[in-house]
Amino acid sequence: MDRKDIKKWFKEPGKMGHKYSLWAVYFCTGCGIIEVPPVITSRWDAERFGVIPVATPRQANLFLITGYVSVKTLKAIIRTYEQMPEPKYTVGFGSCPINGGMYWDSYNTIKHLDKYIPIDGWIAGCMPRPEAIFIAVTHLWTLIDKGMATAHIKYREKYKYYRENQEKVLKGLDWPPLYPIEDSND
Amino acid sequence: MSLTQLVIISFAGAFLTYFSGKVSSKLRDVFAVIISLVLIAILSYFYGKTEELRYFSFLGLPLLLRINMLSWYFAITIAVVGALSIIFSLSYMKGKEKTDFYYLMMLLVNAGMLGIVLSGDLVSFYIFWEIMSWSAFLLISYNRGPALAAGMKYIVMSIIGSVAMLIGMLSLYTNYGTLCISEISPLIDSASSGYILFLLILFFVAFGIKNAVWPFHTWLPPAHSEAPSPFSAVLSGILVRMGMYGFLVFFYVVLGVKLFLGLGQGLYRFHYILAWIGAINIVIPTFIAMFQNDSKRLLAWHGVGQGGYMVLGVAMGTSLGVVGGTFHIINHTSYIALLFLVVGAIEYRTKGIRDLNSLGGLIKKMPITFIGALVGACGLIGVPLTNGFVSKWLIYKTLILKGYPFLAFAALIGTWGTILSLYKFLHNIFLGQLPEKYKDVEKVPFSMQFPIIILSSVIILFGIFPGIPLKVINSIVVSFGLQSLNINIWGISSETGALNTINILTAICIALGFVWLLFRIGEKKVSIAQDDNYAAGAYVPKGKYHHTVEFYNPLFRMIKPYFKDFVDEFYLLIVKVGRSLSDKVRKLYCGDLSYYIVYIVLFLAVLIIFKLGFNV
Amino acid sequence: MIIVAKIFEIILPPILAFIIGIFFIGLFRKIMARIHWRYGPPIIQPFLDLIKLFHQKGFSHGPLFDLGLILSLAGSMVLILFIPFGGMCALGNSGGLLVILYIMLFAPLGIALSGGEGANPNISIGISRKLIIALGYEVSFLLVLLTLMTYYKTISIVDIVNAQSNFHWALFSPLFLSGIAYLMILPAILGIRPFDVVGAPQEISSGPTAEYGGRFLALFHIWHAFSLFIGIALFVDLFLGGGSNPVTFFMKMVVVFVLVTFIHAVFPRLRTEQAVRYLWRWPTAISLLGLLLVQIIK
Repeated sequence: MDRKDIKKWFKEPGKMGHKYSLWAVYFCTGCGIIEVPPVITSRWDAERFGVIPVATPRQANLFLITGYVSVKTLKAIIRTYEQMPEPKYTVGFGSCPINGGMYWDSYNTIKHLDKYIPIDGWIAGCMPRPEAIFIAVTHLWTLIDKGMATAHIKYREKYKYYRENQEKVLKGLDWPPLYPIEDSND
Repeated sequence: MSLTQLVIISFAGAFLTYFSGKVSSKLRDVFAVIISLVLIAILSYFYGKTEELRYFSFLGLPLLLRINMLSWYFAITIAVVGALSIIFSLSYMKGKEKTDFYYLMMLLVNAGMLGIVLSGDLVSFYIFWEIMSWSAFLLISYNRGPALAAGMKYIVMSIIGSVAMLIGMLSLYTNYGTLCISEISPLIDSASSGYILFLLILFFVAFGIKNAVWPFHTWLPPAHSEAPSPFSAVLSGILVRMGMYGFLVFFYVVLGVKLFLGLGQGLYRFHYILAWIGAINIVIPTFIAMFQNDSKRLLAWHGVGQGGYMVLGVAMGTSLGVVGGTFHIINHTSYIALLFLVVGAIEYRTKGIRDLNSLGGLIKKMPITFIGALVGACGLIGVPLTNGFVSKWLIYKTLILKGYPFLAFAALIGTWGTILSLYKFLHNIFLGQLPEKYKDVEKVPFSMQFPIIILSSVIILFGIFPGIPLKVINSIVVSFGLQSLNINIWGISSETGALNTINILTAICIALGFVWLLFRIGEKKVSIAQDDNYAAGAYVPKGKYHHTVEFYNPLFRMIKPYFKDFVDEFYLLIVKVGRSLSDKVRKLYCGDLSYYIVYIVLFLAVLIIFKLGFNV
Repeated sequence: MIIVAKIFEIILPPILAFIIGIFFIGLFRKIMARIHWRYGPPIIQPFLDLIKLFHQKGFSHGPLFDLGLILSLAGSMVLILFIPFGGMCALGNSGGLLVILYIMLFAPLGIALSGGEGANPNISIGISRKLIIALGYEVSFLLVLLTLMTYYKTISIVDIVNAQSNFHWALFSPLFLSGIAYLMILPAILGIRPFDVVGAPQEISSGPTAEYGGRFLALFHIWHAFSLFIGIALFVDLFLGGGSNPVTFFMKMVVVFVLVTFIHAVFPRLRTEQAVRYLWRWPTAISLLGLLLVQIIK
């Protein structure tokens, strides 16, 4: 943890700032949310890493998708993700967003979340322990340092792909596209 | 150019406008605007002059016209506000019926008010006062319907006030044999304090009803809400302040400072009781204004409340207080006229909607109207750099330094009631979501924007350079016999705390520039539509949110039972009792001949017993 | 030489106020963490938050959204110049306490205008709560200020500070009742528990800041730092005698701030009507008694 490295703060303040003050939007997706309150309270204190929960996605830059994603929740997740300011980082938590997990043959859950929202990293487990969240945060720091946490840039570049997938599974979206989609005919 | 010519032009102009309206409406519009502007031009010629001339003789009494600095101060305000209202009504009254009558009455009200401030003796004062009151009545009940009841309430209370003034005038005439204001003031020094108290109470009732001082204010909210908006601006701006003019003339010119401050002793000094009435007048109406859901009624209650500041300042009797109270008169004119014109503009574009619970989000469609409303609201609250702040600062300073902390507390808490109600006004009309039915609203035409722009610039100009009007008011106060203040163009300097608006202005400008630079350091922003809001992950389609209803709900539940208008209910109770009593008396007239014969026989019996019993 | 000193007096207080404000927010989070038996963030964490927020692309709903926030922060910065800060007071003779009372109106007005443009019902509810609680504490606040102005017979805050030199602090004079009342409403002025219903994250998604992101939120945090500084600096100036130099002033501010943090740690959040009912009962009664006491003594 190089929070005390003053020279680095002067050289790249943006990256260091994003690393050491990750504000997580307090969005309760599935059963994984039961692991988040212990993380932010006294026993496994997340505030010493700079991670605090905030109420609205407008103020946040970390999105933790904790648990299985049903189709109804996917709508809210896409909305919340689009309302976050850039740069933003997403972490999939638990095995359900990775490949469907326990609900691999359900008609109502999303099996591969990566097709609808770009994800920076995954945490495996059916529910991972709070220490796993901290390992994920430190790993995210390394990724940010190396410039490899580029999920939001990927969303902008491949927005047509994501939007098509979203419209297919949700059977039509009420809100307009976030980035302009050019229809390429070639 | 003499004073008589001024009065004749103002009255003749009114009638000429009416007759030219029969010829063509364009000619009438042009004529109305020209007359109002000509009045301003003539009045600016009279600045600084003092003269008195006799223009008529009526039943052996000379009728005088007089101008001095106090009259000029009020006259120029009347002329300017009248002109701006008429310019505003050019577009507002298009397409309504009886517009010739409307312009006649507007110009007649103007002329009546000019006559009041220019009159030098009490008879012409009374005549012009009645002309003004009756034309105001005809204008208040211009839109039929609920406006008729409002107008009736107004005229009944106004007649009571005029009758009180008539009684006072008659008693002055029988005691001193003259009605000229300049001749009465030396004569009244020798009167007994009981007689002065009697006169003070009569004239307090007369001018208090017109000025809507707290026990007599009940006519004002319905009258202001139901009158057409340009006339509401004139009515609330300067017509009710004719009562303040009467107070100033009677307390300081006729009675003089020593008599006024020396009446009564200890806790029962008259001016102290008057100051307390002013303090109650500030607190209760500004808090009642918070609960109103009709935008014009909210502003009307503020018209009542701000009058309390003027009464408080004038009743203090110190030079700071009188300067503060008198300055507050034109300050209040500028912002309440501006706010009523803004409401008129909104009414014009939304086809008559005044209800705060159904408007919203109009800032994108009417930006200049919003800026006018914002500046007017800031002036009414008393934000620094507006003229309201200067006059309120003067009043607070005199209250604190003279050792009246409870009065100062009442004055200061009125500001917070004003902030809450004006934020509700601004938010419910201009901010928030734009409902679907108003998405075609456009900007108002230039003839309506022009008065709004002029009044906003007056507010800011007098806030940054308060020395310009303060110099005029200082000479008024010196002519009353009070101490002169040390005025420079940026404010007032004295040993016990000075006011320098230039410091505040420079500091705010530098701070704004610095913060704007700081703002640019950050990353660029992304502009999004206004309805793209955080709604807990849902996408709510346009037009489904309306979050201006019941804006201060927690507070309402707590204090609404205590802030009803119980004076109004008391008056209505008197009306009800009187009506039931007269209903019982009416039953005597039953139309049955046998009953009438019984009445005659009984009355004769009573007379005979009387004669036998008392041998008279 | 005089010009240089004057320029110093104008530039230094806002910079020091910003640093002290940020330090207070960090100290607040650290003390709360220690009370909760955990470690908590480093004390410079709010500064790191600001750096991150300036590098984020916020969303804006319209021009008034930015301008309102700029106006509110400018108002707070100007207010710093009017409050004596350990012997430095640049604009001390331009109106005194009355101007301070009125410039304190710029801050909620600016945020209210900016939030209104945001067109989110949570923001409107937050702003209406903020104004209602302001009405609640203003009653007692005005009585306390009027007591002080009547006792010292002046409206200039520099005179009040000078009259308390040599340990004649107002808190230990006949004004102690007003001091106690001011301590009772200090949490409401600063916006912390038990009166922090304005920015309740759980109920109204943080009220007026619901739509702020990026540099808007950064300006809001800077405004929060300034408002903490102003609230406590006024108390120290009026009741604890100010300070002859910035260091003693800062020590007194730290003591008051730690006391206020302890109150925040213990109490729950009151609802709006409960808060207003409390503020209109006990602090008002005590400050009214203080005013009557001063009137009787004079």
